[in-house]
Amino acid sequence: MEAVTIERLLEDRRQQFELTVIGGRAGVKKRILNAEIHRPGLALSGYTDRYPHQRTQVLGETEMTYLNSLRPEDRRPVLESLYRLGLPLVVITKNLPAPAEMEALADQYETPLLNTRLSTTEFITRLSVYLDVRFAPSTQIHGTLVDVYGVGLLYTGKSGIGKSEVALDLIERGHRLVADDVVRILRRAPQVIIGSAGEHLGHHMEIRGVGIINVEKLFGIRAVRLQKRIEVEVRLELWRGDAEYERLGLEDKVTTILGAEIPLVTIPLSPGKNITVISEVIAMNHMLKVYGVHTPREFSRALSEEMMRRSLSAGYLESDTE
Amino acid sequence: MTEKQVTVTNPLGVHARPSAMIVQTASRFASDVWLIKDGHEVNGKSMLGVMTLAAEMGSVVTIRADGPDEEKAVEAIAKVFEMRFGER
Repeated sequence: MEAVTIERLLEDRRQQFELTVIGGRAGVKKRILNAEIHRPGLALSGYTDRYPHQRTQVLGETEMTYLNSLRPEDRRPVLESLYRLGLPLVVITKNLPAPAEMEALADQYETPLLNTRLSTTEFITRLSVYLDVRFAPSTQIHGTLVDVYGVGLLYTGKSGIGKSEVALDLIERGHRLVADDVVRILRRAPQVIIGSAGEHLGHHMEIRGVGIINVEKLFGIRAVRLQKRIEVEVRLELWRGDAEYERLGLEDKVTTILGAEIPLVTIPLSPGKNITVISEVIAMNHMLKVYGVHTPREFSRALSEEMMRRSLSAGYLESDTE
Repeated sequence: MTEKQVTVTNPLGVHARPSAMIVQTASRFASDVWLIKDGHEVNGKSMLGVMTLAAEMGSVVTIRADGPDEEKAVEAIAKVFEMRFGER
């Protein structure tokens, strides 16, 4: 994970967040170490116990009106008690003017002071999204991610087992490639992981015997997408006679990626097996489960009910001597 | 698991041709091979993986192998780096 400096934030989002630096320029190398944002309402009134000074501080109309209602000689100590704790960044919304004491303190403590034209709610919403992505746990794995009927299938397995070839076949049938070989994964919610292509990779693919191809150029824009939630891991492996493969599907196997539990399907490869069609079935079956239809369980329940019914009626007929 | 750090010493860095040499060397071994640079970890048998590391001259790459012939694999790949991929 890269550190988020104020400089970096300005580089990335100066335009979108409509930011201007109005003080504390010397502190732009300071790092934001926390994804959370704080509005220091209570702290301005002097109560600084448990004050989360390590968070980005956002001051809106309420805070500024309150500060402006104070006498200048009272204003400075209140603000200084906060600056002294070491703030990463202070932002004033709606481009409200900062009192002179604030600009002076920003310079003195080398804490950047920014203005944004956005309203407080709007700014906090946008900054949270930006910081959440920056602070999200991430990893990179060797695999291929394809969107099949809107379901993100992540193919894993040893190098050369045919992940790219499966993806190519799926693209040919109208499905969409997200990333081949190097998949960058970001956790956006406790159970939601999003995959995209690693740096420099784009929608390139390596096909053994052919070399590197550009899927977007070859198949057009509809054959690719930039990112996709990973919903099922499909593990490809060579058929091993001694291994037990899933026959019933009554119990759902899962794998854990960045703490998120993802259904896992292991497919043994053998000559003549059509992985493309199996992939489409895996995707559709996953959607069915999401919609509440679990075929193996329903089949098994129907079977048990039938046997129960038969045994009950058999008992009834046996003792019937009429 | 065996690991070794190497430095890229040829001016052009690990571009397409050196990547191919690394991948071909790695693929001769049964062990799993990874290359790691700046916390980015890629499969050493994957062409695109190695290329997208974009290891420029002076960067430090860790070669890691795990398997029956891991030591030989790491040595062989380190050697490809050391001979600067046959470049000057």
